[in-house]
Amino acid sequence: MFEPIDSAESELSFFEKLWQINWVVVLLLCATAGVGFAMLYSAGNGSFDPWASRQIVRFGIGITMMLVIALVDLKFWFRYAYAIYLVALLLLAAVEFAGFGAMGAQRWINLGVIQLQPAEVMKITLVLALARYFHAANMIDLGRILYLIFPVLLVAGPTVLMIRQPDLGTAVMLAAAGGAVFFLAGVRLWMFGVALAALLAVVPVAWHFLHGYQKKRILTFLDPGSDPLGAGYHILQSKIALGSGALFGKGFLQGTQSRLNFLPEKQTDFIFTMLAEEFGLAGGLGLLGLYFLLLAYGVGISLRARCQFARLLGMGVTVTFFLYLFINIGMVMGLLPVVGVPLPMISYGGTAMLAVLIGFGLLLCVGVHRDTRIGRRGLTE
Amino acid sequence: MIRRRKTSSHRKPLPPVALRHGRIEMEGTAKQAIETGRTRLVIAGAIFALAFATVGARLIDLAILTDGNEPRIAHSPAIERFTTERADIRDRNGELLATSLITASLYADPALVLDVDEAARDLAMVLPELSEASIRAKLSTTGRFVWLRRNLTPRQVYDVNRLGLPGLAFQREERRVYPHGSLASHILGFTNIDNRGLTGVERKFDDILIGGSGPLDLSLDMRVQYILEEELAAAQQEFSAIGAAGIVMDVVTGEVLAMASLPGFDPNHPIDGADDTRFNRATLGVYEMGSTFKIFTTAMALDAGTVTMRGGYDATNPIRVARFTISDFHAKKRWLSVPEIFMYSSNIGAAKMALDVGSEGQQAFLRGLGLLTPSSIELPEVGAPMIPSPWREINTMTVSFGHGVAVSPVQLASAVSTVVNGGLAVPATILKRAPNDPIPLRRAVSAETSENMRRLLRLVVTEGTGKNAEAQGYLVGGKTGTAEKLGAGGGYQRRALLSSFVGAFPMNDPRYVVLAVLDEPKGTKATHGYATGGWVAAPVVGKVVTRMASVIGVNPLDENAPEIREAFAVELNPRGTTLASY
Repeated sequence: MFEPIDSAESELSFFEKLWQINWVVVLLLCATAGVGFAMLYSAGNGSFDPWASRQIVRFGIGITMMLVIALVDLKFWFRYAYAIYLVALLLLAAVEFAGFGAMGAQRWINLGVIQLQPAEVMKITLVLALARYFHAANMIDLGRILYLIFPVLLVAGPTVLMIRQPDLGTAVMLAAAGGAVFFLAGVRLWMFGVALAALLAVVPVAWHFLHGYQKKRILTFLDPGSDPLGAGYHILQSKIALGSGALFGKGFLQGTQSRLNFLPEKQTDFIFTMLAEEFGLAGGLGLLGLYFLLLAYGVGISLRARCQFARLLGMGVTVTFFLYLFINIGMVMGLLPVVGVPLPMISYGGTAMLAVLIGFGLLLCVGVHRDTRIGRRGLTE
Repeated sequence: MIRRRKTSSHRKPLPPVALRHGRIEMEGTAKQAIETGRTRLVIAGAIFALAFATVGARLIDLAILTDGNEPRIAHSPAIERFTTERADIRDRNGELLATSLITASLYADPALVLDVDEAARDLAMVLPELSEASIRAKLSTTGRFVWLRRNLTPRQVYDVNRLGLPGLAFQREERRVYPHGSLASHILGFTNIDNRGLTGVERKFDDILIGGSGPLDLSLDMRVQYILEEELAAAQQEFSAIGAAGIVMDVVTGEVLAMASLPGFDPNHPIDGADDTRFNRATLGVYEMGSTFKIFTTAMALDAGTVTMRGGYDATNPIRVARFTISDFHAKKRWLSVPEIFMYSSNIGAAKMALDVGSEGQQAFLRGLGLLTPSSIELPEVGAPMIPSPWREINTMTVSFGHGVAVSPVQLASAVSTVVNGGLAVPATILKRAPNDPIPLRRAVSAETSENMRRLLRLVVTEGTGKNAEAQGYLVGGKTGTAEKLGAGGGYQRRALLSSFVGAFPMNDPRYVVLAVLDEPKGTKATHGYATGGWVAAPVVGKVVTRMASVIGVNPLDENAPEIREAFAVELNPRGTTLASY
């Protein structure tokens, strides 16, 4: 394997970088996206219109962006991490004023050409900013409360905005991804204990500020049978679909639950259910296998990175990806409350796919630049 | 945890260190931080694996393992076996006459109803046949159970469910359905809302029908039933009769193939019709039958030997007994032979025949034909005959021509069966007899008398009052009857008649008795104003015979064939010059 002795000083050529890209990951992403296209084709009742065709175009744009991001020097991302975070945060704030709602929630911003969900972008940029901050951390810093105020603010800012939007799912994801980076950076465990205790103390208060439908969803999660025609409808129909798929499913385009519209939001949040209904347990486990391989590569790439920024960035992206799919799949299986989190690479939705591909671009970038070292004081020395 | 103070945090950045196989070597707390980071990274990886194991296990659980609590969809829609509690009723050919459908009935638990006013208003909107006030009254009771509406259609169930009102629920119930509507309604009867039989076969065989012993097969043949009801209804309409009754009976087995009473009702909605529509004139109604009784008087006299086919009586003058005068409608005012008395329906002749047999003999003979006891037919609605008590000489005379005694049409049909079938009394039945079932037979008339009666009955149709009953090729024989009904005041009314014709066919070897009775028919131009049995009831029998014979497989015969003419040869007037007719 090609391994430069001192990569910090020597810049790789374009083609060397291209060679260094982990093409297995790219292949896995393409395979996963392919499954997504098939499911969207099925969700459109055996038609590329209206979902599959657009999703393919977005994937084309996204995968190009991913490769570009992967080839950009890791130091660039290190340098502009905070700036990118700030842009995303401003976009998120702008949604409050200029955004328009979908399904009763303000989540979109119109950038003229494309409509963007800043929340999805925020998930990646938050990881980027936190990795930048914790890059220079040492054991003593990690034990000081004051040292953690800034990164806590980094997480709290977008999270609070998401709660205001309101988008509980994204808020939880942001907090969880942030917390994961804190954990990976080595923040003392007792601090997590304190945070958890504080959270539990806040819960009863926060309960009052939750929207009615959010309360209902949580109550429904605790007992889905309590309201089978109302809030529990989604999850019961979803479970029926999962169960009816059995071992090998009903066959492509044959899922009755989704085809007869028993399944809500089948092209977005509940697409995994449709997959499990049409391809059964085998299909479901197959997709989980693809995801697991992607995550394993994510962990592997992160482990091999030499500098803390790269490692935290790679792992943060991997954790974000994990949260996406775990929350989504857990939700449709009734393991978690129903929150609006898409299934990465499969669900219909441009920004979410873009965010995931940007994240993987950064991960691949970490892989390409695994030997790059960035000083603890940054790039200025 | 031990905290080291300022050991290396302000040191210069670490110089590049030689690396082997990707291992990083650093010093101090920075190295420690990174080591911690690596450890935690591995922990995170382990959490991923654990989470995947959980999700995978859950997926297997949902997709494969059977959990009683989880709703599942069957792979193919299973066909629900409808098991109803009440058995079907079928005719002799397996045609469905009564069956049960599963329905839902709406009830309420008033204690669980949140807002009585709202519930009453909403329910009245989807169930317009219920008034808002009555629902409110029901829902305001203190009990825990109140029926709101029984036997809802699926559409109504859907509408009620869509209201989403608490405290309402459905009870699975059965509803009796009669696919043939009003056809044979008096035989079938109907059930109450709890699906228990109230009348007819439903009542009589209630225990058997709910006993789960399978469908009940009746002796009815719905094809014949339809023909009979149609012809009766047409005649009822034509002659503006207030009612009609008819029976088709197998003379050998006593099975009732068809039995009708008009006006009828629809057992699917029994209470929609007037009260008298549910009255079964064929079994529950008892009537003075009039001249058809001369069949029994003549058979009785021939059987007793008080007169022969060649004998006769003087019918020149009416008989005066006390305040009654017995005279003839078609008076010939001369001596009449037995065939002539029968053919011309002479009251005087019949009375004299009966007087010769005597009161005791008459009662015994009529009892033997089952005319003095209620019919044994298996229906709850069986009328008891009205018989003279005491049975004086005058009663003997009036009974001889069918007055002063009232029997039900089914009794009449049974008795005629016995007279023509060779003389064997067979109980009437509404149930299908199994092919090898022994039929309880009892001799009531001699075979020779029965043979003679066939000739006389055929004579009435060929030469006498029953010509309108002729059905080409089927050798119908029979007797007309026209009785004046008892008025409210007790006296006989000339204009209120009960006109009937009882026939059998084919007369050379009778298989079926056909009876038609019209209650208070009015004459029309076509009948020259007559409303007698020969004019209004005989045509019904003729038409029914023609139509049903081809349906049930009776072959037409050549009436002019020598052996047929021989079989029906009757010496009409032994004292005169005319010797034979047919």
